[in-house]
Amino acid sequence: MSTITKTINKNKSPKRLSDSTQCYLLISLQIIGFLVFTIYPIIWAVSKSWFYYNGVDAETSFVGWENFAIAFSDAKYWSSWIVTFKFTFYKIIIEIPLALVLATLLSKGRKGSNAFRSIFYLPNIISVAIVGVMVSNLFDYFGVMNKILSALGLVKNPIDWFANSSTSLGVLVAGSTWSSFGINMLYFCAALNNVPKDMYEAADIDGAGKIRQFFNITIPMIAPVASTILLLAINGTLHVGEYILVTTGGGPAGTTNTVGSYLIDAFVPGFADTAVNIGYGCALALITTVIYSVIAVIYSKSTKKLQNIY
Amino acid sequence: MHSVKKTNFITGIFTYLVFICVTVVVVFPLLYVILSSFKSNMEIMAYPDRYFPKEFTFDNYIQAWNSDSFNVGRMFFNSLWFTCCMVFVTLLTSSISGYVFARGEFKLKKVFFAIFSALMFMSLGSITIYPKFEVLSMLGLNKSLWGLIVMQCFGIPVVNMYMVRSFVNTLPKELDEAARIDGCSFTGIFFRIILPLLKPTLATLAILSFQQSWNSYLMPTLFTMSRPDQQTLIVGIIALKNSGEGAAAWNLMFAATSIALVPVLVVYAIFSRYFTAGITAGAVKG
Repeated sequence: MSTITKTINKNKSPKRLSDSTQCYLLISLQIIGFLVFTIYPIIWAVSKSWFYYNGVDAETSFVGWENFAIAFSDAKYWSSWIVTFKFTFYKIIIEIPLALVLATLLSKGRKGSNAFRSIFYLPNIISVAIVGVMVSNLFDYFGVMNKILSALGLVKNPIDWFANSSTSLGVLVAGSTWSSFGINMLYFCAALNNVPKDMYEAADIDGAGKIRQFFNITIPMIAPVASTILLLAINGTLHVGEYILVTTGGGPAGTTNTVGSYLIDAFVPGFADTAVNIGYGCALALITTVIYSVIAVIYSKSTKKLQNIY
Repeated sequence: MHSVKKTNFITGIFTYLVFICVTVVVVFPLLYVILSSFKSNMEIMAYPDRYFPKEFTFDNYIQAWNSDSFNVGRMFFNSLWFTCCMVFVTLLTSSISGYVFARGEFKLKKVFFAIFSALMFMSLGSITIYPKFEVLSMLGLNKSLWGLIVMQCFGIPVVNMYMVRSFVNTLPKELDEAARIDGCSFTGIFFRIILPLLKPTLATLAILSFQQSWNSYLMPTLFTMSRPDQQTLIVGIIALKNSGEGAAAWNLMFAATSIALVPVLVVYAIFSRYFTAGITAGAVKG
């Protein structure tokens, strides 16, 4: 067949470009983009990490490994990692069980489940920047959250949420969970759909209760997918930056800066000081990337058992 | 048998209780912001817990739409044309690359496919804005939203590409061969045969990329630093929040936020199944 089409092609239009040339042409922009906007920036950042570079070519000087040496004793940078881990830990520990419980309840197919699922996913479609604006208004000292809490008698005096690093982090976790639990819920819904229904019927006949079924059938059956969902959630949360930036701006005094927001705040034009050492920023970006990959590798090694649980 | 019914009833009540609680938490902030945008600034400050404004007023919208320093009208149109361009470009690049990787036969196909798939994980984060600006400034494109749109032309939306590719793979090859006998080229087959069949997939992609572009904050901020007249809604709202006036201008911010929210909410209300279809397709195949 293919030889026939080839000869037809040749006979009909001898000047036509060959299929593979057309393929290359169709994705040529992407190939160029890959070289220019992916590979080149990486090479640029790696090479600049050995320089003192503040954007002015005349003041640039080679400093060898000094940028990396400074990085290892940079308290601000490492404390931003601690904040990142705290933020991730609190968020995941709330978000994943919540998403799983909601998905399980939705999977029973009760009336209105579809409508509720759509409502729960709603926050996901809203810009994190707007979530930041809403959170900072709701939790303002004079804001509605304090009014509600005191009306319920939970607090005597209004709380100054953003003046203290732990309440600030709590608010950030709450807002971030609000904004993204829906997607994990959808993932869990998809996973639960793939659990064969007859397993539950068999368990029913054997007399296992709903809660027992959840822990002895649902959890093991979705464990492989769940470990991927968890990986995506952890990875996404570790990379959070913009959201922190628009909500607290890292405040008070930089104590809620995650790695992502710290790197933007300290080195990206428009946020950073004008004469910041970009070379140092490159060194930090490299270290950060290495740490991210190490975390991913550790995670996938430690959850390997979950992948072949059944 | 009776007790089974009873426990079913109780778990039913419990389920709906949970659903309603979560619904309240989800919907409350949104309703609060939208309702507050109809309050006067005095009422916002003094009575944050008066959820329904005493007097509905459109003053905030009128003031924000016409303000010189915080011109929501202009921002809205910036968001609009920027989003339209981004959606158009994304649809074109993801459908073409998806088609090429599904049907094309060329030497480096596997290599490029592997490289592009790995793209998702290859980034050094925000610092790479410097070299990107460096390249774009050679074309004079680093100082406006057009730069971002041009960069999107060169980008490869990996997840979208996977979606198109897996859809094209489900189409019978006989279609291509029939078109080929009729004298269609490889590119011609894409535009005449495949693209019209891609409509449902493209609808999903269009909605997802509409939402992404409309909502994006960091990149539009960087590309409009020296062009405040090109600020999109999201960029402008955060700029106002970070400026000193922000604390006193919640009324303007609420009005602008509501304007930024409404298009997304409307699109979601009409096309919610496309949103979720995209998610699950991406989850399984991407």
